[in-house]
Amino acid sequence: MQATKSFEQAFLKQMLLGIQLSAVSHTTGSLQERKSAIKLSADVAMAVARGSKKWTRGLIASLSKEEQNRSFLQFVLGKEFERPAKICHSSWKIPRSKNIVRRSLRFLSKRQSNIRAPNSSVLAGTLVEKRTQVLKRLVPGGESMDAFSLLDETLDYATCLQAQVDVMQKLMTTLEASKHSRRADSDAQCPKEKFHLLAMVGSWYSTRKGLRKRLSKRPKLTL
Amino acid sequence: MQGLRAPPDDLSVLERQEACLLNWQQQGQEQSNYNPRGSGYCRQMQTSFQALPSGCGGEKNVNHGDVHGSIDCFSDGWPDLANIRYPVHGAANVEETSITNVSSNSSRKRKADKSPRSKQKENGGGGKGDSGCKRIKEETGGGATSETGQPNKKEAASGDASKKNDKPPKTDCIHVRARRGQATDSHSLAERVRRERISQRMKYLQDLVPGCSKITGKAGMLDEIINYVQSLQRQVEFLSMKLATASPLMDINIDSIFGREINPSCKSGSTAMIGMSSELLDQSYLRFDTLQHPHPCSGLDTFMDSSDLVLRPNVNPPVAVPDASFGSSFDVILRLNMSMGVLFGVQTCKACMAWISSKEEGQPSPSNHWKVKALILYQEHYDASDDNKRSGSVLPNNLKMEM
Repeated sequence: MQATKSFEQAFLKQMLLGIQLSAVSHTTGSLQERKSAIKLSADVAMAVARGSKKWTRGLIASLSKEEQNRSFLQFVLGKEFERPAKICHSSWKIPRSKNIVRRSLRFLSKRQSNIRAPNSSVLAGTLVEKRTQVLKRLVPGGESMDAFSLLDETLDYATCLQAQVDVMQKLMTTLEASKHSRRADSDAQCPKEKFHLLAMVGSWYSTRKGLRKRLSKRPKLTL
Repeated sequence: MQGLRAPPDDLSVLERQEACLLNWQQQGQEQSNYNPRGSGYCRQMQTSFQALPSGCGGEKNVNHGDVHGSIDCFSDGWPDLANIRYPVHGAANVEETSITNVSSNSSRKRKADKSPRSKQKENGGGGKGDSGCKRIKEETGGGATSETGQPNKKEAASGDASKKNDKPPKTDCIHVRARRGQATDSHSLAERVRRERISQRMKYLQDLVPGCSKITGKAGMLDEIINYVQSLQRQVEFLSMKLATASPLMDINIDSIFGREINPSCKSGSTAMIGMSSELLDQSYLRFDTLQHPHPCSGLDTFMDSSDLVLRPNVNPPVAVPDASFGSSFDVILRLNMSMGVLFGVQTCKACMAWISSKEEGQPSPSNHWKVKALILYQEHYDASDDNKRSGSVLPNNLKMEM
């Protein structure tokens, strides 16, 4: 299962925008700051490019928990920023009373210790349970999902992550190539690789109308 | 085996089962319960099935236990289930489809009388366990108890149970029918549907995660998935770190890409801007066309291919290459905006401008102001005369291709 080209393109576009926006404030930051800014813009770009899924909302919610990201998020997402943030709180978790959970766990452990040869099914069940818990922590917004939708979201999330890694790698190679060629010929002859991304960005829009449609789909930036 | 005829359609299912069993016994097959003996075993079963177009089809079993191998090779007589592929082993897969086609026609007729019959065959022990072994054992017990009226059956109780599981499951996404020998109460039905959906998703995930074709079982698969997602996340972190080091000033990302190609001599207003934008694009076309030799970025090949198709026939006469050097990042962003603005529209530009001006309160220099105004003016002009613009006409014609 491969992410579509349009997703990759939308992602790249968003990420470049995001990097540019954060570049203004982070030009002289430390490496850590820059890295986190890039990662932030990459994550937001991925979430925006994907659209509305549970994990995207969870991702944006978790990102918006930190104060420093809020302005960036608010700018990029505009109107849509406030709405999902309200919904995806940690209170979205399935409410479970701690006492009840503790008691049930105690009973479960007692029962399991009583069984000399634990039933293979029970053992398999607990293994699966443990792993499901880990997966819930990995996938953004996974705490509030049941097993089936968790798998669904994991599928989606994994494809988008893959696409993200691909695009970032390509961006990386472009940059490095342009650097090399710039060092090679420092004269006015512009390195050709530089244009690739521009050409890519340029060629991604078929018609003006198509452009408008795409823009209208994006959240309107409030000014 | 081939000489044996299938019992006629109006026979009860039990009698049909009897016939199947007799066939099997005649063949001297060991009906050891669910011993996965691999494809040889499966093929034997399947030849016998082919001779019996009746509903002695196989069952698609969604269990993840050891029984998987042997049971999955049984054919599925119900067309509904043909769409749902479960993880099967070996050569069983190919033969299943042929058998499906063979028995599907005949089995369709039998759906009507089978369902009440299957419901009658319910046994209380049909509650589903989590693992395959458990369930089948229950069914075995249930099968044995429920067929008190058929003393012949008791002879081959184990075989009987296997035949029970051989009955094709009649489940699909929309309506679920009970399998033979299983409970029909809504809980177990919903349970079964849920489990089948989960297994379907696991199948997709198996395709996604590389190197997981050999792993069966939920726990192992989940393990692999977790590792994969973790590795991808780590890769993203690493790549963002690399990007941060590669571009000490983050605007170099775009500066290096767009920087030197933009004509800075756009001091005369909107028309110049439009010309500039067309120049920009023309230059990119030019560069693109002159770039015939393979470039070192192999990763961009996929992008290149499609762009090639689009841009090659539209090379414009070469324009003098402007050479500019940019000082402030604000400049760069402006130019980026201008180029992006061509593609992204007014909204983006205005938003960017507003954001940038809010960030850079300390630089309300007149040149910036002018630039902002000019840019906005340009954008509106570009928007307004959409159809009869030189660069605009070039752009849509070239880029009609939907990538």
